[in-house]
Amino acid sequence: MTEKDLIKQLKQLKEIKPSKDWVLLTKRRILPEVPVSERSMSNVFAVFQWKLAFAPVISVFIVIGLFGFANTTVPGDFLFPFKKAAEIAQVGLSSGAEKSGVHLKLANRRLEELSGIAEVNKVRSLAPTIKEFQDNMTEAANGLSQMGSLNLKELVFETQKMEENKQKVESVLGIQIGGETNKFENQLVSYLISDLERRSLNEEDQKLLAEAREYSEAGNYNLALEKLLVLMNPPADGRSQ
Amino acid sequence: MVQISHHKQKQFEKIYDKYIGKIYRFVFLKVSSQEIAEDLTSEVFTRGWQSFQKENCDIKNPQAFLYQIARNLVIDHYRQKGQAQLVSIDNLPLIEEGPNLEERAMFKSEVSNVKAALANINDDYREIITWYYLDEFSVPEIAKILNKSEDAVRVQIHRAIQALKGEVGEV
Repeated sequence: MTEKDLIKQLKQLKEIKPSKDWVLLTKRRILPEVPVSERSMSNVFAVFQWKLAFAPVISVFIVIGLFGFANTTVPGDFLFPFKKAAEIAQVGLSSGAEKSGVHLKLANRRLEELSGIAEVNKVRSLAPTIKEFQDNMTEAANGLSQMGSLNLKELVFETQKMEENKQKVESVLGIQIGGETNKFENQLVSYLISDLERRSLNEEDQKLLAEAREYSEAGNYNLALEKLLVLMNPPADGRSQ
Repeated sequence: MVQISHHKQKQFEKIYDKYIGKIYRFVFLKVSSQEIAEDLTSEVFTRGWQSFQKENCDIKNPQAFLYQIARNLVIDHYRQKGQAQLVSIDNLPLIEEGPNLEERAMFKSEVSNVKAALANINDDYREIITWYYLDEFSVPEIAKILNKSEDAVRVQIHRAIQALKGEVGEV
């Protein structure tokens, strides 16, 4: 008999097994079944462990929920820091050319919130919201130098929307909140004028640019922006630039 | 406290389910009696559970722990009975047999021969053959159970199979 045959025969001894009944009876004799009361306590513990296993997922849902609820808050509210954190992340994720536009949108959001605050007379939220608005306007002005020409139109539209909101809020609250907006609009108008001055313009466009310059010098940036917006959106007949 | 005890019981139930068949076979091949094998195997797990319940008990290798209890119990068994380890070829355990009469006869004959030969070789050789070929333990696992080097275990496996081969030729 070869060693291989021997091992093959040897492995047949694996079939030596205890009877299933004896295995079960012996198990129950050595390890009696746990009483129902203890088992239920153990189940409570098991459920707790099960919950622990899902803790990371539950935490994620809670955080998402918090951010969701925080979206309707205004500065001074308990959950506003979550909204602020999301906005900081939004700014952080935007490129240098987009930052000014993002701050301007956030400033607009604060203005819309100010309208709501004024409607429900939520006095304690006024000061922090105005401060948030002004901070965003400052940041928007600081980011203008990095603006790309691609985002200019969008920025002008957003500025006009902001100006409308600001006037509405100021008329409701009876206070001036626009120091930072003037600075921003001044910078934006100056930037656009100098940009257009470098281009070749036809007679009609040059006239529009001159009007924009006059409005700007008079401090009427809103009207200057209107003229500049016309220059930036030539009619379909193909006015030269 | 109850929860800890229950947790330990759950752990030991898993150990029981995993090793009951192997320990039974290990004991059976030493005593060659179903009744004695059942009694001794039951005692192995009773003692194992008693040790496992102790608060300061830290069994790192349950396998080695149970086999050690089983070895000691078999030694005690023979010491108490004052018996030599004699095994009858006819005293076969529960075996799943082949589907037809011819296959069953062949199977029984082969198993009887090898089992008889196994019963007649040195106890250390029988143990190591059981672990290596039947329980399919690795050499490092057997080395841990026997507290020997892996090389020593390999040499012993080789000698054991040669001894069995010689014995089968004589049966």
